[in-house]
Amino acid sequence: MTRPLEGLRVVDFTWVRAGPWAARWLALLGADVIKVEWPDPAIGGSTGRVVRDVPGMGSTPDGIPRSMNSDGHFNDMHAMKRSVTMNLRSPLGLDLAKKLISQADIVIENFSAGVLKSWGLSFPEMQALKPDIIYVSMAGYGHTGPRAHFQTMGPSVQALSGLTYISGVPDKPPAGWGWSYMDDTGGMYGAIGAMTALQHRTRTGEGQHVDLSQVAAAMTLLGPALIDLTVNGRGSRREGFPPGDRSVWPGTPKVNNYRGPICAPHNSYRALGGGHNDWVAIVCQTDAQWQKLKQAMGNPAWADARFDTLDGRLDHQEEMDEHIQAWAEHTEKYALTDMLQTAGVPAMAVQSSEDRVEHDPQLRARGMYEEASHPILGSWPIQHAPWQMSKTPTPVDRGAPICGEHNIEILCGMLGLTRDEVREGYANNTLWPKSVPVEPYLIEALETEKVG
Amino acid sequence: MTTQQSAAAGSLAGVRVLELSNSIGQWCGKLMADFGADVVKIEPPAGVAERQIGPFYKDVEDPNRSLYFWHYNTSKKSVTLDLTQEEGRELFRRLARTADVILETMPPGALAALGLGYESLAAENPGLIMCSLTDFGQEGPWAGYQMTDMLHLAAGGQMAACGYDEVDDPERRPIAPGGGNGYHMGAHYAYIATMAALYYRSVSGEGQHLDVSAHDSAALTTEMHVPNWIYTHQVVQRQTGRHAGVRPTAPSQIPTGDGRYVNMGGGLSSSFRAFVEVMAEAGQAGDLEDFKYLDPEVMQANTDHIRGQIAAFVKTVPAEVSFVAAQEIAGMPWGVVRAPDDLLEDVHFRERGFFIDVEHPELGETFTYPGAGAVFSATPQNIYRRAPLIGEDNADVLGSVGIDAARLAQLRAAGVV
Repeated sequence: MTRPLEGLRVVDFTWVRAGPWAARWLALLGADVIKVEWPDPAIGGSTGRVVRDVPGMGSTPDGIPRSMNSDGHFNDMHAMKRSVTMNLRSPLGLDLAKKLISQADIVIENFSAGVLKSWGLSFPEMQALKPDIIYVSMAGYGHTGPRAHFQTMGPSVQALSGLTYISGVPDKPPAGWGWSYMDDTGGMYGAIGAMTALQHRTRTGEGQHVDLSQVAAAMTLLGPALIDLTVNGRGSRREGFPPGDRSVWPGTPKVNNYRGPICAPHNSYRALGGGHNDWVAIVCQTDAQWQKLKQAMGNPAWADARFDTLDGRLDHQEEMDEHIQAWAEHTEKYALTDMLQTAGVPAMAVQSSEDRVEHDPQLRARGMYEEASHPILGSWPIQHAPWQMSKTPTPVDRGAPICGEHNIEILCGMLGLTRDEVREGYANNTLWPKSVPVEPYLIEALETEKVG
Repeated sequence: MTTQQSAAAGSLAGVRVLELSNSIGQWCGKLMADFGADVVKIEPPAGVAERQIGPFYKDVEDPNRSLYFWHYNTSKKSVTLDLTQEEGRELFRRLARTADVILETMPPGALAALGLGYESLAAENPGLIMCSLTDFGQEGPWAGYQMTDMLHLAAGGQMAACGYDEVDDPERRPIAPGGGNGYHMGAHYAYIATMAALYYRSVSGEGQHLDVSAHDSAALTTEMHVPNWIYTHQVVQRQTGRHAGVRPTAPSQIPTGDGRYVNMGGGLSSSFRAFVEVMAEAGQAGDLEDFKYLDPEVMQANTDHIRGQIAAFVKTVPAEVSFVAAQEIAGMPWGVVRAPDDLLEDVHFRERGFFIDVEHPELGETFTYPGAGAVFSATPQNIYRRAPLIGEDNADVLGSVGIDAARLAQLRAAGVV
């Protein structure tokens, strides 16, 4: 079965999360994504494989010895890629990287601005190697502008862009985002940049540098908040904003808060069980939906004519929400979801990670967590694509590569090294870090693996 | 940056997209249009429902004054067609013959019920790519459920991760972050899938049907939370202004001397010593100048103490002061928690051309819009035109498929357009 990007090659210099996540999707789509690694703990285990031996850190499953090839997150994040090791700070490593680039379509990296350039891999230098190369860089502030040297991580990107500010309830600190949303979505933007530039190259033969800024990407995700400011002069430092889970915070002006139509109820309610995630979200966007909710609650006496209109529900929102809360907490969140949806009321359980993997019938039906194999970990559920393509299916049929798994086929098969040169490189800190024992599987492959 | 006249300079120049989309897919269509695709939004004669969503220009409700619609529909054209009438469907089929991509977000099966399903449209245009972006995909037990932006954040795991420490909210209620991100996530995946299908078509000549799920997309967008469960059976708990944790972590969002917040993101590295010098100048270094903290092991063992001391200093100075010092002097990846209001003044993003001035000729005004996440060296993302008025491009677009002015007048009289 053909995948849509078959025949394309991506050199993946990414690390941490946003970059690897971008490259992962290109790999699922069928590009040959070559992850260039240097698993030296002295530079922070920059490939994300080296996990400090701290309880609770990393995600090596119970019963599997912790190693650079045992991390579950890594397995998921780098699925479908190939792995080659080289020291880009050595002349040999740099030369090999250049040879790789000369055979590639896309180069993607998320180092701080200036890192690749300092290695002699600026965009013009890459163009000299491959005139139509597409270069996607993913630095926090981008590669141009007066603060291009600023360092970011997901939480600071979210803070600086306004995303943190728009999450929370009035008169409390920002709740922000409980994970690096911009590592996920920054990754999306990296893949979007690559795919968009590819479309231009297909038509014209011209490559280009896509200089992504994670902070700028995040600034596009505030909804209409920015143009409410530039058009109407309405800033976000205002009474009732951000409105928590409400559409409009009780007792504050009935203005739109950038998440769709103004409506009520629009809130989360505690469901039966009392656990951290035993909550259900309920929304009525029309008066008709309110009538259906009222009916589902058994037409209680409190739900009188005051609540028949949106204005009335907003005026008495606290009272309404207290009553809905008192009703909801006697029923389990999935039962509430099914009952309300069946009644024609938009509602959904607040789902944890456990819920999504174990209890979500839709994700199961879509095959979102079917298993894929890994040389050390064995078979594990892995996150699949959210698309189904009628002509070019893109299942995840293998997990991440182990470190240097494809060294022989890449170093010897593609880049022209001899086995002796590889053996030498494993010993002299150019193809494997001196501080790390050479993995037996690397030696075995060196002795036995056939080249293309 | 200001708007350009022609989308021919964009990466997607020459790609025609028919967009039949509600809130689920308008962001995807906007990205395509701002990248230079010829995106024709097909609306019912009264306009799509998104035009009824506020805020509105000068707070006057009108389908051509919705800022929500403006934001999500830049660079698109608008053609009105009543698809409940056979003549409307016939015009849609004509347009579909000219399209590379149809982006549609109708409930599963709805388009096919109108005789406009992928199979029948592709029979007349074999290279056609149809991207169906829906709440749950085309099939499955929840495929008929009604969703909203917040409900996607509930289902996708975002709400389970966002909220407060007990000290800030004894209930530890889940919080749905704002900005419409419940729908942005699916739109990004739909965009990538569509581009991949376009690439495949350039190689094979074949079109195809893409079934993209907003829920699947959201469920993919909580970083390590799903692998955490799969590999270690750990579930995170919400905390104020920082990553939800499988066990409690120290606060990293610190109130500042000017009533704002700074996020001291990231762990502690030895570069914090440079920041201590800033604290010392203010006489607030506490014991952090002690040479013992040069020892990485001592530093790691005292992380909470050190960060606590730094936070105590941050609380006494303006947010921008400690942020810039952390970045410029110590290279620490901190961020000020900015409100959207603060962004317009940012010199860095102004210099990168992030903000785009968009002309609204019918109002005689020009407004600043947010622009691109990335600077493209050859084919920049841009805003080529403000969002269309209802049916603004009927004559042009329908004219290109053989509808002359007289015929258009008849169709308008019949309520087809």
